[in-house]
Amino acid sequence: MLTEILQDAFFAAIAAIGFAAISNPPRAAYLYCALIAAAGHSLRYAMMSVPTHGLHIVPATLLAALLIGFMAVLLSPRCRVPAETFLYPSLLPMIPGIYAYKGFGGLVMCIYRGSESTFSHYFYIFASNSLTCFFILLAMAIGATIPMFMMKKITFTATR
Amino acid sequence: MTSTTMNSTESKQLPPYPAPTAQSMCAFLAEYATRLFSSGATCIRLEKNVTRIAAAFGMEAEMSILPRHISISVVCPGSGHSFTSVSAIREYPISFAVNAGLSRLSWDIADNHPDFSIIQQRFAEICSSPAVPRGALLLLVPLANAAFCRLFGGDAVAMAVVFAATYAGYLFKQLLGERGIDYRLTVIICAFISSVLAAADGLFGLGTTPQIAVGTAVLYLVPGIPFINSFCDMLDRHYLCAFGRMTHALVITACLSLGLCGGMMLMGLSMF
Repeated sequence: MLTEILQDAFFAAIAAIGFAAISNPPRAAYLYCALIAAAGHSLRYAMMSVPTHGLHIVPATLLAALLIGFMAVLLSPRCRVPAETFLYPSLLPMIPGIYAYKGFGGLVMCIYRGSESTFSHYFYIFASNSLTCFFILLAMAIGATIPMFMMKKITFTATR
Repeated sequence: MTSTTMNSTESKQLPPYPAPTAQSMCAFLAEYATRLFSSGATCIRLEKNVTRIAAAFGMEAEMSILPRHISISVVCPGSGHSFTSVSAIREYPISFAVNAGLSRLSWDIADNHPDFSIIQQRFAEICSSPAVPRGALLLLVPLANAAFCRLFGGDAVAMAVVFAATYAGYLFKQLLGERGIDYRLTVIICAFISSVLAAADGLFGLGTTPQIAVGTAVLYLVPGIPFINSFCDMLDRHYLCAFGRMTHALVITACLSLGLCGGMMLMGLSMF
């Protein structure tokens, strides 16, 4: 279990560094992005993997995003960068890409398949995956932005 | 945005140099705000920084932020002069280095009151700060997408396929961007290329998780920052701007889906 959590943290850190590069952050920010993403993603993984009491992906994402948000705001003054610099690349590994993919696939198959029973099957796939995707995105956005509004003073004086 | 203008500690001391006119300050702030917006800043940061700079020169600034334009009014309380500037938001790649630099500049102006010409010079320097080298991006982004694939449960073969598919797609993204091709068309083409290449995993029976390879190969195109910025603006009650950013993100996502769908149809892949 511990090995899997560490693996999850490692790959989340690599993903965060790569996605951070797209948004051209200051060099010092890469290490923090990796650290925050690893902490957030591995926390989500751990919460979902608890035997018999594992959390659903939506509340687990909300809690992980809150951790990411708090870490981003509290660490941003060290680098003198806006908290968003750490926040976005750290959140991106939690983007529900496979749910979006399956939701979109379900929609396409709904259009292609004619009979009522197959339509209902694919519509179920479309609806369940799309709703999960939407609520994960919502949990990510709300969880990550709440700390910014809770600690406005730190958020907006970090670059001072 | 009224509470942060003149009552903060940021405006205790006026600059030792002759203050710029309200007109020149208005023109500078319009340029500053549009550049900060394009670099990926949220509306609340825009308001805080702009009012901080104006307050440092004993002026008041009010702004309205629209999805494609920013309107700024600067009032000089002593003379009663006021000027308004409306600027179009130009499209620049999102850059947190510029975002951080411009935010630091606003605090430097508030704390140290440098000469206006120095401020303008530093603004120009920050805006021309170098981007991440192309070669580094071509290594880091595919690596990130391959790691992403692993996080979704993809095997080693799927990771390798996603790396190659992302490399090719991102290379095309850079080439098309250089030629000034519309970004939406670029996303469709890149998603198409990446999904066609990622389909190799399933077509040749290379690995055990071909669906994850195809699903992950296009994720480097997901407009994550506009999505999250739109929620941030919504929480700060900038509904119009939030709606604009969300619509932009949805349009890009639709383009991505279109490219993915085209690629899968060409390769004769079923999504399930």
